[in-house]
Amino acid sequence: MKRYLILFLLCFQGLLAQVQFEARVSKTTLGLNERLRVDFVMNIDGDNFVQPSFDGFRIIAGPSQQISQSWINGRTSFEKSYSYFLLPSQKGILTIRPAVIEFNGQIYKTQPIKINVTAATEQPRDSNDSQISADDNLYLVADITNTNPYINQPITVVYKLYFSYNIGINKWDELSKPKYNDFWSQNIEIKDLILEEGMFKGERYRYVVLKKVILYPQKSGKLVIEPLAMNIEVKLPTNRRDMFGRVIENIVDKRVSAGAKTINVKPLPETGKPADFTGAVGKFDFKAIPSKTTLKNGESLDLVLSVTGTGNLKLFTLPKPEVPNALEMYDAVHDEKVNTPLSGMNGKISDSYTIVPQYKGDYVIKPMHFSYFDLSSRTYKTISSSEIKINVLDGPSQTVASKDVASAGKNKIEPVEQFRYIDLRTELVSSKEPAFFGSNKFYGLLLLPFLLLPIIVLFRKKKEAIDSDVFGNRIKMNNKLAKKYLSEAKKQINNKEPFYVALEKAMHNFLKAKLHIETSEMSKDNIRELLLSRKANPQAVNDFIALTENCEIARYAPSSSATIQHDFDKAVAIISELEKQI
Amino acid sequence: MKKIIFIFLLFSQIFYAQTGFEEGNELYKNGKYELAAKAYESVLASNKESAQLYFNLGNCYYKLQQTAPSIYYYEKALVLDPNNAAALNNIKFAQKRTIDEIKVIPKVGFAKLLRDFTGIYPFDTWAYIAIGFAFLFLLFFVGYYFSQTGVIKRVFFAGMFVVLLFVLLSVAAAFFEKSHYDNEKPAIVFAEAADVRSEPQNASSSIFILHEGTKVYVEETLDNWKKIQLTDGTEGWIESKAIKEVKKYY
Repeated sequence: MKRYLILFLLCFQGLLAQVQFEARVSKTTLGLNERLRVDFVMNIDGDNFVQPSFDGFRIIAGPSQQISQSWINGRTSFEKSYSYFLLPSQKGILTIRPAVIEFNGQIYKTQPIKINVTAATEQPRDSNDSQISADDNLYLVADITNTNPYINQPITVVYKLYFSYNIGINKWDELSKPKYNDFWSQNIEIKDLILEEGMFKGERYRYVVLKKVILYPQKSGKLVIEPLAMNIEVKLPTNRRDMFGRVIENIVDKRVSAGAKTINVKPLPETGKPADFTGAVGKFDFKAIPSKTTLKNGESLDLVLSVTGTGNLKLFTLPKPEVPNALEMYDAVHDEKVNTPLSGMNGKISDSYTIVPQYKGDYVIKPMHFSYFDLSSRTYKTISSSEIKINVLDGPSQTVASKDVASAGKNKIEPVEQFRYIDLRTELVSSKEPAFFGSNKFYGLLLLPFLLLPIIVLFRKKKEAIDSDVFGNRIKMNNKLAKKYLSEAKKQINNKEPFYVALEKAMHNFLKAKLHIETSEMSKDNIRELLLSRKANPQAVNDFIALTENCEIARYAPSSSATIQHDFDKAVAIISELEKQI
Repeated sequence: MKKIIFIFLLFSQIFYAQTGFEEGNELYKNGKYELAAKAYESVLASNKESAQLYFNLGNCYYKLQQTAPSIYYYEKALVLDPNNAAALNNIKFAQKRTIDEIKVIPKVGFAKLLRDFTGIYPFDTWAYIAIGFAFLFLLFFVGYYFSQTGVIKRVFFAGMFVVLLFVLLSVAAAFFEKSHYDNEKPAIVFAEAADVRSEPQNASSSIFILHEGTKVYVEETLDNWKKIQLTDGTEGWIESKAIKEVKKYY
C-alpha cells in the first residue's frame, strides 16, 4: 500500500515537472481602439522562440523577454515569458496563432487564441492616462454645407482637425480615403496648411483644414459619405517633468475618424420639366454665335454654342444645332474653361461647329433651346438663341469651274440652276372632280368603237341589199325627182314658163314612180287606165289629166300670178290625194 | 331665268377663283409672300386646283422660310403634273433646307422597268390613250372592211390587231398606274421634330427623329399612328398629327 502511495506521489511529481508553454491574453474581447497584451509563458528555459504572425494586429511594443526564478521553501520555480502589446487593425474575430519554442530537442506550441475585436469603445476618463486626454483634445470634423440638396446642386465637405492648446501634433497619415459613391467630386488642393483658431464645443481650439471637397450628387435619395480616418501622432504632456522642470511629453499614435454622413438628395421637380432638359443645374447664360452669316462658296463658318455661368458645367451636354442638309456640319470641338472654387463650378463651356455650305441659297438655322434648373427660384428656365440666317452667295463648285473655262471677253450665258419664278397662267379645275379613268364615261368611250363594229357590218349589208334592188331604186329616184321638181316649181312661182315646165316634170316623175312606167309610155289614155286599175278616185284622175293638159296650154297662154298659185296648190293637192289612194 | 342665274353664279365662281390666283401673283411680285399665300389658299378653299397654283404656293412658303409647307405644295403640284419642270427644279431648293438627309435607294428589276414605262403618263392620260387606240381600231376595221384590193385589206387587217394590242396595253398601264397611285401615299413631316417609334405607342422606344420637310410614305394607319417608310427603306410608327399626306385634301 505504501509503495503505491509513493508511486502515486512520484507520478504527481513528474506531473508537476511537466513542460508548460502557453499564451495568455489580457482580454478576449476588445474595441478597435484598445490594446491587447499577449504573453507567451513557459516554465522552462526554451530556446529558438518563434513569434507568431499577428495577422490583423499591429505590434506597438514587444517582444520583451522576462525571466524569473524563485526558490520558495526549497522549491524552485522558473518562468520565462515573451510579451507583446498589440493594436487591432480591423474588426472581427482574429486569431493569435501558435508560438513555437524548442526544449531538449522537443518542439512545443501554444494553443491559438481567438480575439473578438468590436467597434471602438468609449474609454473611461482617467486623468493619469495620457491616451484619454488625447481623445478629449483632438477631433476630426466634416463640415457639410447642405445635407438636403437637389440633384446636381453643389455641396462642399470641409474636413477640419480641431486640437486643443495643450497638445501638439507631429504628423498624420490618411488611413482610409473617404469614398463618394453617387457623387461627382472635385478635390480642392490645399497647398499649405494654415493653423487657425476657432470655437468648438464652447471652447477655444486650434484647427487645421485638411481637405476640401465639392460634391455634386448624381442620384436622389439617401446617400452616405464614407468617413475619413486618420492616424495622428500626438504629443501629450504628462505629469512628469525632466530635470530642468520641463514637462515631459509622451508621443502617442491616435486614430480619429469623422463619422459617416448621410445626405438626403432631393430629385428635381417633374412639373414643368422641359423636354430638352439635359441635367443642367445652376444659373447659366446660353449663346449661339456664327462667325459670319454671308459667305462665298468654299468658305466655312464656325458656329459657337456656349454656356456661361455657375453650376454643374461639366455634367451636361449642350444642345446640337440642326442645320439644313445643304450645309455640311462637322463634329463639334468641345472646350471647357471651368474653375472650381468652393462655391461650385463656374466658367464657360462651348461647342464649336464648323459648317461648310454646299449650295447657293438662303438657309435658316433654327433657334436652339437650352434648359436648366434655376436653384434660386427652383424652377426650370429655357434660353433660346435667335434664328440664324445664312446667305450663301455662290453656287456649287462645279459651275464655278466651268465659268473659268469660258473664253474671256464673251458674256457666255450658262444654264445655271435657278430658283424658278411663279407661274403666271393657270387653268383651274375642280379638285372634287372624280378621275376620268374608271368612270362610266371612260368605259362607254372605250367600248363604243367595238359596239360600232356590228352596226357598220349591218349598214353595209343593208346598203348592198339596197344597191342590188334596181326596181326599188327607180321608184325611190322618181319620188325624189317629183319632190325635187315640185320644190323647183315652188321656187319659180313668179316665172310662168319655168314654173309650168317644172310642174309638168314633177307630175311625170310622180307617175313614173307610182306606176312604174317610162316617159315613152306616157299617154293620157294609158295613164287613166293605169290609175283607174289601181283603184284611184276617177275624179282625182280626171283632175290630174286636166292639170297636165293645163300645164301645156298655160305655158303659152297669158295667166296671172293668182292662177299660177292656184295651179300649184292644186298639183300638191292632187299628188297627195293620189299618193294616198295608190 | 333660274338657270341663267345659276350659270352666272358658276361663272362668277370661276372668275373669282381666277382673280384670287392673279391677286396672289400680284402680291408675290411685290414681295408680300404671306398675303400671296393667303390669296392662293382662298382659291384652294373654293375647291379649285392646278399644278401651277400649288407650285406658286410652294414658292411663297419657300420665300417665307417654311420648308415643310413649301415641299408639301411642290409635291402636290407634282401629283397633278409629275413632269412639271418648274416644280421639280424648285423642290430641290426646298429639300436643301431640310435637316434630315435620307438616301434614296433606287429600285431595280422588272418592276422598276414596268413602273418607268407606265409612269410616263398619269392614269387618266393612259385612259385617253386607250380610247384613242380604240377609235383607231375602228378606223382600221372600216378600212379593212370597205377596201377593195387584197394588199390594203391585209395591211388593215394586221394593223387592226396591232392597234387592239395597244388598246389592251394602255388599259393595263392605266390600271397599273391607278393602283400605284392609290397605294403610294407620300406625306411630308410638318412637326419640327418627331420621334419615329418601333411600336404605335408612346412608351415604345424611339428609333430615330425626323425633322420638318422630310418625305415619307404612309403604309398603314392605326388609331392616331401611322406606319411610315423612308426612301431608304427604314420603317417605323409616327403620330398622325406630325405628318400631312400629299394626296389628301385637308
